[in-house]
Amino acid sequence: MDRRVFLKSAAFAGFSIATLPATLLRANADGSKILRMGYGSEVLTLDPIKTTYGADILIQGMMYARLLHANPDRTEVGPGLAESWDIADDGKTYTFHLREAKFSDGSPITAEDVAFSWNRMRFQKDSAYAAPFQPLTRIEAKDAKTVVMTLDRKFTPFLTLTEIWNTGIVPKAAVEKMGDDAFAKAPVTSGPFKFVELKPGDRVVLGRNEHYYREGEPKIDGVEFRYVPDDNTRVSMLQAGELDVCLGVPAPRMAELKAAGFRADPEPSSTTYDMLINHSAEPFNDLKFCQAVSYGIDRTAINAAVTLGLGTPASSVMSPTLDYFDKSLPVIARDVEKAKALLAESGKTGASFELIQNAGSADEEKAAVLIQAQLAEVGITVNIAKIDSTQAWTRLADGEYQAEMNWWYNETRDPDNALRWCVWGAGDNKSYYTRYNNETVNKLIDEASGEADNAKRAKLYAQIQKIVVDEVAQVALYHPTWLNAYAPSVKGLVLNVGLQFSSIGGASLD
Amino acid sequence: MNRFSFVLRRPIQLIPVLLGISVITFLLLQMTPGDPVRLMLGPKASQETIEFVRARYGLDQPVPVQYFYYVLNCLRGDFGQSIAFRGPVSGVIVARIAPTVFLILYGLVISLLLTFALAVTAARQRGRWIDHLIRLVCVAGVGVPSYFVGLLLIMGFCLRLKIFPVSGYGPTFINNLWHLFLPALTIGIGVTPILARNLRATFIQQLDKDYAIACRSRGLPESYIFSRHVFWNSLLPTVNLLGVVVAFLIGGTVVVENVFNIPGLGNLLIRGVLTHDQFVVQAVALLLAVGVVISNFAVDILTAILDPRVEL
Repeated sequence: MDRRVFLKSAAFAGFSIATLPATLLRANADGSKILRMGYGSEVLTLDPIKTTYGADILIQGMMYARLLHANPDRTEVGPGLAESWDIADDGKTYTFHLREAKFSDGSPITAEDVAFSWNRMRFQKDSAYAAPFQPLTRIEAKDAKTVVMTLDRKFTPFLTLTEIWNTGIVPKAAVEKMGDDAFAKAPVTSGPFKFVELKPGDRVVLGRNEHYYREGEPKIDGVEFRYVPDDNTRVSMLQAGELDVCLGVPAPRMAELKAAGFRADPEPSSTTYDMLINHSAEPFNDLKFCQAVSYGIDRTAINAAVTLGLGTPASSVMSPTLDYFDKSLPVIARDVEKAKALLAESGKTGASFELIQNAGSADEEKAAVLIQAQLAEVGITVNIAKIDSTQAWTRLADGEYQAEMNWWYNETRDPDNALRWCVWGAGDNKSYYTRYNNETVNKLIDEASGEADNAKRAKLYAQIQKIVVDEVAQVALYHPTWLNAYAPSVKGLVLNVGLQFSSIGGASLD
Repeated sequence: MNRFSFVLRRPIQLIPVLLGISVITFLLLQMTPGDPVRLMLGPKASQETIEFVRARYGLDQPVPVQYFYYVLNCLRGDFGQSIAFRGPVSGVIVARIAPTVFLILYGLVISLLLTFALAVTAARQRGRWIDHLIRLVCVAGVGVPSYFVGLLLIMGFCLRLKIFPVSGYGPTFINNLWHLFLPALTIGIGVTPILARNLRATFIQQLDKDYAIACRSRGLPESYIFSRHVFWNSLLPTVNLLGVVVAFLIGGTVVVENVFNIPGLGNLLIRGVLTHDQFVVQAVALLLAVGVVISNFAVDILTAILDPRVEL
């Protein structure tokens, strides 16, 4: 062969390979219905008790069945692995009756497995989120299909806790045989999907669990959960057809995606973005100063700037998606004169404080800069400190901070979990590390959790919300929505307010 | 000194380099405030749980004790446990090394092809418009950040033309050539201007040398002079520069891996630093250092092959 002919052929071959149509090499080229999701955080563990991390929660929600499940629109919890349940008259003993169901390896799910999973979650020392289950003192298998749980007091929110991701049922035999670490990397599952592959730093692949207890579910063949840290890359991948679902779309790109034919509507979330303030340190150890800051901030403007109006300005520490949210509380309107007067009363005119902000978050940066400008008009100097998240968490937990931009979301619709997390001073986390502690609030929260009457509970929660807003337990700023975009081929999939794809069993892919 | 003993001596020189890097990364991570366990378990973990997990990873020990055990374990081939991934660091790294090595080599091949094409064209067309254009492109190329080049390539080739995928790393060699073409090109675009300007300058220098003039005076054709003499005599400075550029290239992959979502060591390093995943950062830093030392070693050998006058 002539040298020129060879070079031309080689160049042509190289170009052809490089430009193979994208569709030929895609994951779904074989016709299987694999749902490809992109998320900005990486899956680190598949063991439901070892994490409180967003990516882990999302994937584990698809892998493990729980005793009860929220319905897709999350108005109530309904049967899951437990077909029915009884509550003793004293409200302290819950008996769950299990249905016939199997793990992904075909072995039956027994009461032993349920008791093992719950005991592990509640009492194992490295269980990351046992706090909401404090009233639970005893879990035992009564017979092959009956589990009895005993609480130390009457605790109405208990049923809603049984749908939190970390109560996912794992097989006792497999965990004991493999050990925690090995199980976390290749688990046997009880939910709609089975584990196929974990590629660290890249993706988790799930396949259909043929033994899943719900007939005809899941409708899709599997899920590929991909880690794509860069927001814009993730959006590009959705646009290029490499993803079917893009989770965490930057607010400014939602309209563009919607115009391009993607389903990109904000989905309700139970998240609250806030400025946490340290009540045990200067200058926030003075109520008047806290109130001056609260009146000096324009929540509506911050919501408009950060969420582009896709969220709502906060009136309460509780998200509007939670039960017993008090709709009558107004969003505190910015009042510079009132703020100045309160500041003068506090005797801290000219005060300054350091506002910690996570260095990687553009949203926090926007909000922090706005707060800085708004409080400057009141006469308070805000020094923004951008630090990495590890350091920020440590300083928060150790109480070595004055104010910090932060957010939190609630797993259940019941507000008990939320309020115990953010304003209950008697808890391990000292009111989300703000050191806010009001005995009346603590008592009211306990009282509300033991109350079964809805109307009475609503009154108690309204009372709590009013007190903590008046006393500025934390400066709640806005409630964002989940910003996700779905390809038109994805049908019936919604992310619920508690960061779970409860509807994934019934979701389909055209 | 003969070449054989040079080859033996080099790995021994690596020992103090690695020790130095291990001490520095270890101390830097110790000095950085923040508790990695707290971040990994999340804000909802209790203090008791945090203390338990810290003790499990030996993070409650005094710093010198931690370092002693770290070095001892490294000598046994155990690079410690990743806090984030709850498993051996070696496993985490092995899973991600292939995409990075592939990307660096691919980027190197593309940048060398571009470098030679641009430098030869510019030098042989010296002073003409094409030479000016290449020089202009090179000056502009040095200043453009890789993430910007990457995003432009994604917009053009992935979203508009739909020729290449935005992300990923495929299962086969051919698939990888396709998946990693744009990331490798991005790296190539970052490195080529430096190499091409250097090579063009050397070509021109050599073309003006006495031996080239003597060749011309004997009536030898310009292409013959260039390909037989000038080209080979010009390679040495660029090969030396290549040693430096490879270090730059290794650093560059960190950004490129992020933009194109490639599950490599660069991504892992960023993640490790942000989450204080101590043993992961240390192991990746050591590995990158070994990469730089090996590339310098390869350049030394290549120099000796290209120029027999060079002593090792």
